[in-house]
Amino acid sequence: MSKFKDIEWLAKQELKDAYDFDHKDPLFSLSKTEMSGSKLSRRATLRLMAAAGGLTLAQVLPGLGPKVALAAGNSGGHLRCAWAGVAEIITLDPARINQVLQFQIASNVLSGIMHIDNSLVAQGDLAESWDVSSNGLEYVITLRQGVTFHNGDKFNADDVLFTFNRSKDPEKSIHSRVIGNVNEAIKLNDHQVKFVLEKPQASFLTKALERASGRAMTIVSRGALASMGDSQYGLAPVGTGPYRVASHVLGQGVVLEKFENYYDSDRPKLDKITIKPVDGVEPLAAAMEAGDIDYIGGNPVPAQLVTRFKSNPDLAVDIKPGPGFQSVWLNPWRDYMRVDNFNKPIEELKKEKGFMVRLALAKALDRALFIKQGLFDNGVAAHGTINPAMGYYFDDSLSKSSEQAYDPEGARELMAAAGYPGGKGFPEIKLIVTPNSKRLGLVVANIYKKVLGITVIVDPKDFSVGIEQFNKMDFDMRLGGSGGDYDPDDGIVDWMQTKSKFNGRARNKEIHPFGFFSSSEADTAIAEQSVTADPAERKKLVQEANAITSNKVACGFLYHPVDILVYNKKITVPTDARIPGLHELDRIYFT
Amino acid sequence: MLDYIFRRIIGAFLVMLAVATLVFFMLRLVPGDPIAAMLADAGSEEARDAMIRRLGFDKPVPIQFLKWFGGMLQGDLGNSIYGSNQPVTRILAESLPRTLSLAFISFIIALLIAVPAGIISAAKKNTTADNAFSFFAFLGLSMPDFWLAILLIIVFAANLQWLPAIGYSPISEGLWPWFSHLILPSIAVGTGFSAIIARMIRSSMLEVLKADYMRFAASKGLSDSTLLLRHALPNALIPVITVIGIAFALLISGAVVVENVFAIKGLGRVLIQGILNRDYPVVQGAVLVVSAIFVFTNLLVDILYGLIDPRIRYS
Amino acid sequence: MLNKEPTENLKGISRFRFIFSRDKKAPIAISVILIFLLSALFAPWLAPYDPNEMTLDMMSAPSKLHLLGTDDLGRDLLSRIIWGTQISLFVGVSTVFISLVLGVILGVVAGYYGGWADMIIMRYIDLQWAFPNFIIAVYLVAVFGTGLLNVIVAISLAFLDDFARVARSMVLTLKEQQFVEAARTNGSSNFRIMFKHILPNAAAPLIVQATVCVSYAILGEASLSFLGLGVSANTPTWGLILADGRSFISQAWWLGVYPGLAIMLIVLSINFLGDSLRDTLDVKENLL
Repeated sequence: MSKFKDIEWLAKQELKDAYDFDHKDPLFSLSKTEMSGSKLSRRATLRLMAAAGGLTLAQVLPGLGPKVALAAGNSGGHLRCAWAGVAEIITLDPARINQVLQFQIASNVLSGIMHIDNSLVAQGDLAESWDVSSNGLEYVITLRQGVTFHNGDKFNADDVLFTFNRSKDPEKSIHSRVIGNVNEAIKLNDHQVKFVLEKPQASFLTKALERASGRAMTIVSRGALASMGDSQYGLAPVGTGPYRVASHVLGQGVVLEKFENYYDSDRPKLDKITIKPVDGVEPLAAAMEAGDIDYIGGNPVPAQLVTRFKSNPDLAVDIKPGPGFQSVWLNPWRDYMRVDNFNKPIEELKKEKGFMVRLALAKALDRALFIKQGLFDNGVAAHGTINPAMGYYFDDSLSKSSEQAYDPEGARELMAAAGYPGGKGFPEIKLIVTPNSKRLGLVVANIYKKVLGITVIVDPKDFSVGIEQFNKMDFDMRLGGSGGDYDPDDGIVDWMQTKSKFNGRARNKEIHPFGFFSSSEADTAIAEQSVTADPAERKKLVQEANAITSNKVACGFLYHPVDILVYNKKITVPTDARIPGLHELDRIYFT
Repeated sequence: MLDYIFRRIIGAFLVMLAVATLVFFMLRLVPGDPIAAMLADAGSEEARDAMIRRLGFDKPVPIQFLKWFGGMLQGDLGNSIYGSNQPVTRILAESLPRTLSLAFISFIIALLIAVPAGIISAAKKNTTADNAFSFFAFLGLSMPDFWLAILLIIVFAANLQWLPAIGYSPISEGLWPWFSHLILPSIAVGTGFSAIIARMIRSSMLEVLKADYMRFAASKGLSDSTLLLRHALPNALIPVITVIGIAFALLISGAVVVENVFAIKGLGRVLIQGILNRDYPVVQGAVLVVSAIFVFTNLLVDILYGLIDPRIRYS
Repeated sequence: MLNKEPTENLKGISRFRFIFSRDKKAPIAISVILIFLLSALFAPWLAPYDPNEMTLDMMSAPSKLHLLGTDDLGRDLLSRIIWGTQISLFVGVSTVFISLVLGVILGVVAGYYGGWADMIIMRYIDLQWAFPNFIIAVYLVAVFGTGLLNVIVAISLAFLDDFARVARSMVLTLKEQQFVEAARTNGSSNFRIMFKHILPNAAAPLIVQATVCVSYAILGEASLSFLGLGVSANTPTWGLILADGRSFISQAWWLGVYPGLAIMLIVLSINFLGDSLRDTLDVKENLL
């Protein structure tokens, strides 16, 4: 017990130190030497992540625990994986990847310039060392020498420039925004590149150049692109990563083979990896239990299989709190729940019929029942975007103090006061879901029937159709949310601000002055926390913003997903390979 | 005769063209924005505009049609607008062997069941054997193919674990994997088909057995089996063959649902997924291929029929 | 024999009675169909539970409480199957009815008048013939959306070519026969000839075709539901129950067995009935 407390105390110290900087300093109160070199110290990495706008206890903790030494481990072997819930791995081209399940594979085939591991040490991936100018605007990266692509081409600065130009072009890459702050990239010599930034950017090293989160600077092979063409390259990209794509047949699977000339001779351990997309639930379970498959990646493991896998002595099931949140989104422009101005005190809002309905709809959500029935107990109730995985920033008192907390009587009273006693007279409304989340929609609709007596019709639409309607504010209710990052920014900045990119961006601004929510108080708090150094201060702001979105019903928050990893005990997944959402296949080995 | 064939071929091509045009324009009516799906969370306005330009959606629809049509005549069906933008011809070329493999094995299985069943039924009309076969034929006809598929998966893949539950393995990776992946789906598809064929053979045999030339052959003192197999069967097969042609094309449509259950990326599954993804070029191409198979099978059947029955030619 | 109208050979009810009494299948088939019909009509009273009522008794095996077990959301399977009968029968019958009427009109007009009308209608039939029925239905649902109306329209249109063809070929055969000549010389109008003389004699293969199509329509609706292109996400239809249950099959085998069994039973019965009708009405198979 005390050991844990020690670690937690240590973590809090580290966090405090990380946030202890002058945010006007272009180097974020690090010295030039600290920010340069061939490895960012843990302290420096933490500082940069804090300055970039998000460092949480959850991220700090793992690196402090007892370290399981990366055992020499058995080398070799053939790992057979199934990628769940998907019919085909559509593309592995970093410029086109838009699904995490695709990136899980690509991150093992292509390298970035930087790489942050689970213990939050930022290492150079293809960078050997780097140097930062004192004004924080110029980064000189010295590239690793002797690195080759899978096709034998030698890696050098030209490839970095090529990737940069490709990623900057919105016609070629959907991630061009990530390097938006970079004015130019200059080749100094064959092994050095200089990036010139517009403004100091804390996240440049830790995010923009990083192989996992950035994707803009995941280095592609210009030689291969030229000879294969974009679409072929998307199927079987050539990179510098620990594995190369031996073959990829759409719908059948990807075969990865160990790249003998990988720059780190310790990794990868496995000789061969086959990844089969497995669409159905039954076939996935059957394959895992029959031992045809050793490891499941891809989309989340179907909740109903968890108990079954847990009771199987050959399988290991590792559940971690996941980032992200899912909600029932309510359209404030519908007459029966209309709210055209959220900028009033709550007590005043509660006098409006539209808000009464909105609040009733949020209060009626029996989250416990939902998690039990819909998710087979694999999830955590949500009352805001900030989730338990964010540790430090999570306010667990919100589940009781929020206006949204489950309160069936309160919900009913509100509906009656709004003019719909027992749900009578309330129109039938539609809840947009995706075909995969139809079940969850049915559970929600059922809860509404039971608690409020209203009829909610589940309307499964393909994701493309649903998201279009959501962006245009052309919906009654919608079930959706964010896969998420550990950074509080990912939830509140991307969703809860008036100008958030997911907040009705395609709407007709004359009819709908804002999207699904707009609170200037929340906007201010969110903007401020982004640039606040002191962790205590930032926590206060984050929780303040979160509480506003909760109490004023930015949406009906529903649950936070958990990350479930299932694999056969034949293999060992070391702690630093266990990053929720990703699969570091180069560190896994057969026991 | 040649004139007849020629006319039918021209007719077939005209039908195909009409189909292609109809499909192209109707598809544009389908709701849903494929661009939004492709960009999902990561898109910005520029990325969206860029993609629209790249895919040619910014041009008016008639121009898009001409472009596609012209490309089609040259064998280029455009690229999938989804994922890694594979050329449609490639996608179809990969999927066709799978559906054809499935259809082929289903066909064989169906015949293996149907032919003996049909013959025995006819030979022993109205006995227990006949009734039993008839009953099973009806059963096969009435079973939804996807239901049979699910049952087969439950029993053979999940419980007994004798056969793989889903997927397809190309012949290049071994004959047995190819075959073992196709057994269950083929049974699912072939069962209904075999029922139809069995009943056809039965009724056709019955017709033939009544004919004068059979009595004549019987009077020659030939054995039952010789009568059945050497005299009755060949004649009975003639009308059956013409039905088989059409039914084979139906096999391909029946495969749609079964391919879905077994996650085999054949023509049917490509079509369905294309529709769900609003992947216009893929749907156009797939519809073209499916209707081509149908049209040309019918053409073949009509020609065969024309060869057999001269009256038809002059209608 | 050639001079008489074929319907004169049918001695009405007595012939039916004769065939049916010999044929063991038909009465059983009719009984089964009646049972399903009654289930559909009296679903609210027959079903032990509300088909959409979710309980925490998820995926429980068949028991006294739930005769066929429950699904992954705790809903009673028997009730869902009983209610599912409504959609299946309604879609099955209405689509065939619509298709029959439209197809017959097209076929009769084409066959009787010939000339331009025939050519245009035949071209259309050929065009539709270029597609397997099911693909047409899938495509139409994809274009116009799901929902009861759209599914009915889609399936009806899919069968149009079958009925039109049968009607047309019957008309072509019959209009050359002497009884039609006779009616014409008597001064009967075209309309009267088409509908009073030709059609009744064409009825037999059309009726048989109709029963075949009903069973295909039911299977088609189930397949569409299964693919997620069916009537709705909220109403229990057999195909939908199977599709939803697919992900839970090895934990709840009853979800995969009973709905499919229901489909099979009704389709089987209709097929038996159709077969008996075919024997009774002495229709040659190659008209199908």
